[in-house]
Amino acid sequence: MTQHQTIRSSPRSTEPLLSVRDLRVTFQRRDERAFKAVDGVSFDVRPGQTVGLVGESGCGKSVTSLAIMGLLPKRGNTVEGEAVFDGDDLLSLSPSQMRDRRGADIAMIFQDPLSSLNPVITIGRQVTEVMERHQGLSRKEATPKAAELLDRVGIPDPKARLANYPHQLSGGMRQRALIAMALACSPRLLIADEPTTALDVTIQAQILALLKELVVDTGTALVMITHDLGVVAGLCDEVNVLYGGKIVERGGRHGLFRQPRHPYTVGLLDSIPRLDAPRGEKLNPVPGSVADNLPWDSACAFAPRCSHRVDVCTREMPRWDGDDVVGFRCFNPVGGPR
Amino acid sequence: MTDHADHAGHADHAGRDGDSDVLLEVRGLEVHFPIKSGLIFDRTVGHVRAVDGVDLRIRRGETYGLVGESGCGKSTLGKAILKLEPPTAGSVVFDGTDIASLEGEELRRARKRFQMVFQDPLSSLDPRQTVESILIEGMRAHGLDTDKATTQARLRELMSAVGLPPAGLSKYPHEFSGGQRQRIGIARALSVGPDLIVADEPVSALDVSIQAQVINLLQDLQDELGLTYLVVAHDLAVVRHISDRIGVMYLGGLVEESGAAELYDLPLHPYTRALMSAVPVPDPLVEDSREQILLSGDLPSPANPPTGCRFHTRCPWRQETRCDTERPELRVVEVEGASPGHRVACHFAEEIASGAIQPHDVEPVLVAEGFSGPVTGPAPPPPDAYSTP
Amino acid sequence: MSDPIDPAVAEDVRRPSYGQRRRDRIDALAQAGAVDDTPGVSLIRGAWLRLRRNPVFLTGAAITVCFVVLAIIAPWIAPWDVTARPLLDEVRPQTNPVPGPQPGHPLGGDDRGRDLLSRLIVGSRQTLIVGVFATLFGLIGGVILGTIAGAIGGAVDSLVMRIVDVMLSIPSLLLAFTVASLARSPSQWTLIVSIAIIQIPIFARLLRGSMLAQRSSDHVLAARSLGVKKRAIVFRHMLPNSIGPVIVQATLSLAVAIIDAAALSFLGLGNPDQRQPEWGQMLGLAQRYISEAPHLAFYPAGCIIVVALGFTLMGESLREALDPKTRR
Repeated sequence: MTQHQTIRSSPRSTEPLLSVRDLRVTFQRRDERAFKAVDGVSFDVRPGQTVGLVGESGCGKSVTSLAIMGLLPKRGNTVEGEAVFDGDDLLSLSPSQMRDRRGADIAMIFQDPLSSLNPVITIGRQVTEVMERHQGLSRKEATPKAAELLDRVGIPDPKARLANYPHQLSGGMRQRALIAMALACSPRLLIADEPTTALDVTIQAQILALLKELVVDTGTALVMITHDLGVVAGLCDEVNVLYGGKIVERGGRHGLFRQPRHPYTVGLLDSIPRLDAPRGEKLNPVPGSVADNLPWDSACAFAPRCSHRVDVCTREMPRWDGDDVVGFRCFNPVGGPR
Repeated sequence: MTDHADHAGHADHAGRDGDSDVLLEVRGLEVHFPIKSGLIFDRTVGHVRAVDGVDLRIRRGETYGLVGESGCGKSTLGKAILKLEPPTAGSVVFDGTDIASLEGEELRRARKRFQMVFQDPLSSLDPRQTVESILIEGMRAHGLDTDKATTQARLRELMSAVGLPPAGLSKYPHEFSGGQRQRIGIARALSVGPDLIVADEPVSALDVSIQAQVINLLQDLQDELGLTYLVVAHDLAVVRHISDRIGVMYLGGLVEESGAAELYDLPLHPYTRALMSAVPVPDPLVEDSREQILLSGDLPSPANPPTGCRFHTRCPWRQETRCDTERPELRVVEVEGASPGHRVACHFAEEIASGAIQPHDVEPVLVAEGFSGPVTGPAPPPPDAYSTP
Repeated sequence: MSDPIDPAVAEDVRRPSYGQRRRDRIDALAQAGAVDDTPGVSLIRGAWLRLRRNPVFLTGAAITVCFVVLAIIAPWIAPWDVTARPLLDEVRPQTNPVPGPQPGHPLGGDDRGRDLLSRLIVGSRQTLIVGVFATLFGLIGGVILGTIAGAIGGAVDSLVMRIVDVMLSIPSLLLAFTVASLARSPSQWTLIVSIAIIQIPIFARLLRGSMLAQRSSDHVLAARSLGVKKRAIVFRHMLPNSIGPVIVQATLSLAVAIIDAAALSFLGLGNPDQRQPEWGQMLGLAQRYISEAPHLAFYPAGCIIVVALGFTLMGESLREALDPKTRR
């Protein structure tokens, strides 16, 4: 098995499979100020490419994926912008059109495999259901395919597992089952929202290896949402760092990790202890917390916590400096201006 | 602080005489939880062996890191050391007294000297208390709040020690951010002036950028107050960063113990190797080039642990003999470069280190939550067998 | 708030005046993040601030307050003495057993010629007294049992809970009926005691459940590890954090208690003195004339429903406000 194969970056000329443009999600709860969870996010995903959305809790990474999938509750949320998938704007599709897409063309893997599986239905039934719904197969036809899928994601003794309920499987096996469900209709785009956060490191390594292999074998595009820069470094072709609902830096994985430009990216990289670094050095944390953020419309949200802050940072919103491949949003980037 | 030359295995249990610097000595600690079942009267039908015979020593001023995956019993061990979980067997000698045998008022008084920092900073703080009353509570319990002025001065001192403004004293836990709450939790532990702090996953509930703040704070406090830490965590990188010595746990027992730097340079137990290789590093070059040892299958149930070496069901270096019949003891091994304080619980550690035994494929054994024991049936070829670059 | 400022920040070229205020705030950020100087807002206070703007709560509270005030001032505002029979002459047992509305008697009279409006108004007293006291006694009993079970645990817990289970397994009205009929001379106090008894197991069970959850919670563990005395842990941490749902249940139970009281009075287990009005008892008497004069039943029934609704609305919005999920 090829654990270490670098996923080939698809040529830039290919048309994007998913093109998200200026996505905005605003939460409005009763008697409260509106909260911009996602504040103008744009990115492209090309076939066969793995794109990472990285950030800490509250940065809007998960909301972005839910908005694209049309899974945000209607009440209290406004979604603006567009997400063009294969020529159609997903955000303007009707709920029933979206349901046809979900599971068939676009599939999603969630963080907590136990709560994303129905506890009273067998694993086999849950996998076959997707195929019956989208491919019009009968249950008889779908069952052997489901077993194949479970085998494909590395679940031992797949035929017997079809009759198991989610609680009878371990966390890692449940996540595999969930991936099998997501793959049931050979989707062209897979969105994985923190798929390994609830798992132990040795199990995480198994799941990441599986995802890598799937992307290479099937050519599925993958959007990887995570807080773990280590996971991104091993998996993603392109990395987007989110802060306060905006993308603050984007780059290819080698470029971004070798020469991060945005102070937040630098701060994140500096603040995690690395297993391979020499010991004894003090960590360099980012001061403060997200509670200290400024509003984006008249400042850089990160300015209060930023060690690179200059005067203009608290007066104006930094513009995107770059293109849709690399770039950052900062007045005073690390390593000087472009 | 990392002088572990005199720590020559658990054979020298003659006493603490030779090593007056040892603050905490744990011997043969076991915590078994009964599994009960029955209609009217509960019968004990089995035991979950959360901690199953652990020996360890922590020196004064040292940070001991306990690392392992969920279900390995590391948190239970941490709680059992503080007697927040009653141990089934074994002793916990803290500065000459056996905590495990203390009861009632004696135990309550003794708690002044060992404190705990919890994983979830919000749930470990009473939502109805202000920070001030949270911090005063422990002082009052041990009669440290003698007069108002001293208490107020002490409160301010605690707040500034953990980097919070005194204005926070009148606030409630829900009004702080996650990192600030963890600082309150640390201040509470410090309020009674302990010698030992057991920190159970102190940063795992926090955001990445906040984790480093708390790690640095813990280190600063140690330098300032001469604290001794037992840090329990699943994140090997964090543990390696703050610990002087590290114990790796698997299924209720220690499988390896060594100095923090040496553990990374020279992991001797197969599980440690696998664990080490599974930790993602935020560097694409390292990620692309490293050798990953993927373990097959999941952690077996601690209610029904494998015979012999607990790890043999997943071990790529497993041998036909001994591994599944004889439980290996934690021992000092004769391996080039290994210091005398480096102990491993593996029958074949020397052979694995020298390369005399090569890893092989392991068929994953399905570990199910609902039933125990291996599942019979034709197994497919292992999906995550060991691989080399 | 005066931790050292990051050197990189201090080096910045400072332009005074422009945005100075904002800069100052930012620079004042401690390493740990900002904590503002306003005094803390406790969860209870936060819940109250939310409740105050909740229309559901306000409706419920308005209804409840109206009836409580009515009950307090009832004797002074009731137009007629409840025992007087000013309409006795109008009662014709054969043709018109229940006098209809007429000047001075907007709701008419009952079958004995007494003014219906006055009886309704004064009846609120008995009904509310029975509801409030029954719930209060039930609450006290339940809290004592629940605290004992939840705090001590083990065999004591099992014993208390088995007793509670037995009490819960008997249909509540039947239990109340039995208790009430044991009394030698029925009075409103037999009503109160019998309804209180059927409420005890509900409160006890609820409190014990949340006490157990508290017992294994991290903050109780933290208090234990601090060496806080057991009694202080129970009364300062476990009980205050468990009592919320019980209080909510009490407001909801009040509505049930009022209805139960009405039911028991209806069955004749309440105050034997028929001259003193009580809604349940009025409802009971009205059944004889249900076809000729349904309004006789309608008014007391309507009052019971509205009062019960008031307490239920209050309880439900209280539950919502105290729900940890709405905490921010």
